[in-house]
Amino acid sequence: MSNVLKQEAVYAVTGIITILMILEYFFFAETQAWAETIRTWAVIIFNISLFLGAIRLIMAHSVRIQEKRRDWQFSGLLLVFFVIMLLTGIAGYIATGVQTNNGIYNWMFNYIYTPLGATLYPITGFYIFSAAYRAFRARNIDAALMLLAGCLVMLYNAPVGEAIWIGFKDLGYWVQFTGQVPGMRTLAIVGALGLIAFGFRALLGKERGFYAGGGE
Amino acid sequence: MSLSKLANIDRRVFYWILFIALMVPFLSPIGFPITIAPNTQDLYDGITGDQVNEGDVWIMNFGYGVSAWSECHPAVTVCTKALFREGAKIIFIGIHYDVELTYNKLQDTCSEDFADKVYGEDYVFLGYMTGGESVVAQLGSDIASVFPQDHFGTPYGDIPMLEGVEDHTDIAGVLSSDTGDYGTHFMTQWQAAYGTKMAEIGIAMNGSTDLPRWQAGNFFGVSVGSRGGAELEALIGELGEATTAMDSISVSHLLLILAIILGNIGVLTEKLGGKK
Repeated sequence: MSNVLKQEAVYAVTGIITILMILEYFFFAETQAWAETIRTWAVIIFNISLFLGAIRLIMAHSVRIQEKRRDWQFSGLLLVFFVIMLLTGIAGYIATGVQTNNGIYNWMFNYIYTPLGATLYPITGFYIFSAAYRAFRARNIDAALMLLAGCLVMLYNAPVGEAIWIGFKDLGYWVQFTGQVPGMRTLAIVGALGLIAFGFRALLGKERGFYAGGGE
Repeated sequence: MSLSKLANIDRRVFYWILFIALMVPFLSPIGFPITIAPNTQDLYDGITGDQVNEGDVWIMNFGYGVSAWSECHPAVTVCTKALFREGAKIIFIGIHYDVELTYNKLQDTCSEDFADKVYGEDYVFLGYMTGGESVVAQLGSDIASVFPQDHFGTPYGDIPMLEGVEDHTDIAGVLSSDTGDYGTHFMTQWQAAYGTKMAEIGIAMNGSTDLPRWQAGNFFGVSVGSRGGAELEALIGELGEATTAMDSISVSHLLLILAIILGNIGVLTEKLGGKK
């Protein structure tokens, strides 16, 4: 019985909801209140999953600290900031109805998170630079073609390309819109067909990977 | 020095060269001219002129965080200015947890335009939403069910601008600015389902997925990365952050190509040496 509840019931609910939502999307998009209700449930479940994620995060890092695993100090730091942000956010919400109306919360967001966030992404530019130097080697015809296309698109995207030679604009445009866009369309269509096949297999109970990591 | 050594230059050398080279355009701007890509032109045309009626309500989705400000925010700034100047009303929403920071930054970067507008009548900030594609679909059929109140706690029904704005039929268009999938969600759940007019403002990496959708007509326009932002700044005639960043992009891209050439000279020399 428990196995039925744990697995078969999940597949059945998934199948029924999928059929209902497909019918709503294609035939009754403007009229079905029940579809709105199901979507509201989905949003609520999604939000609950965020809460569960937070609990899991606390558990995982608490264990790391308890067992003094490698770099456990960072886990401690994470938990400290987690608690501070949570408490200050709640304090702001209780006081004014808006969690961000708290001085400490705002200070940490504006003067710790914002500069760190703004720095983190540009730093990847340095790694990309080094990685491209190492990886973009014309060791065979295929690699040479990819290298050439990459350089042309870079010169098309950077205004300096046109300044060097106006023809880089047309070449880069051609590579991007005649070479890359059809390739991406093909990928998108093939991916969508794969998704439809996956959906049907899930509906028929043949695809069970989405549930608890189980196979067929 | 043997040319084959060019294939194995220490990465720290590149880091320093790039670091120093990137400072040059900030100290002394170069200002290469920028031509407008057709996808950016379409985006600008779609939010200006007779494409926007006074009083139209648009949705602006902040699907990017602080880390992508440099890529997405200039284009979002220009689009906000353009819509406000056409008399459109804007609903700001966001799926990133730092959405409020982005909204505050927009208030700075469009300060003159916001100064003429009244909160709750010309624009509203509904705040953060979660729920993936489901929440985007739900937004299309009942906005108030996703946002029963705005970010500041005012009930949806008490906001004058939102009177009569219930679902997708009351929205003239959607501009989604993204580092992730929400542009796709809006396309699937709004543009494809209801034919809602929408455009995408994405980071450069998203260009490869967004441009086919622009060509196919799903998006009426697309802004790709900082370059898209710079093009939009040129179109509206107010140069800003993205235009400044273009010089850095020029320098870094040129250096990268030079590094690739050096690496390949090294590899070629190694090969020729081996053959001998």
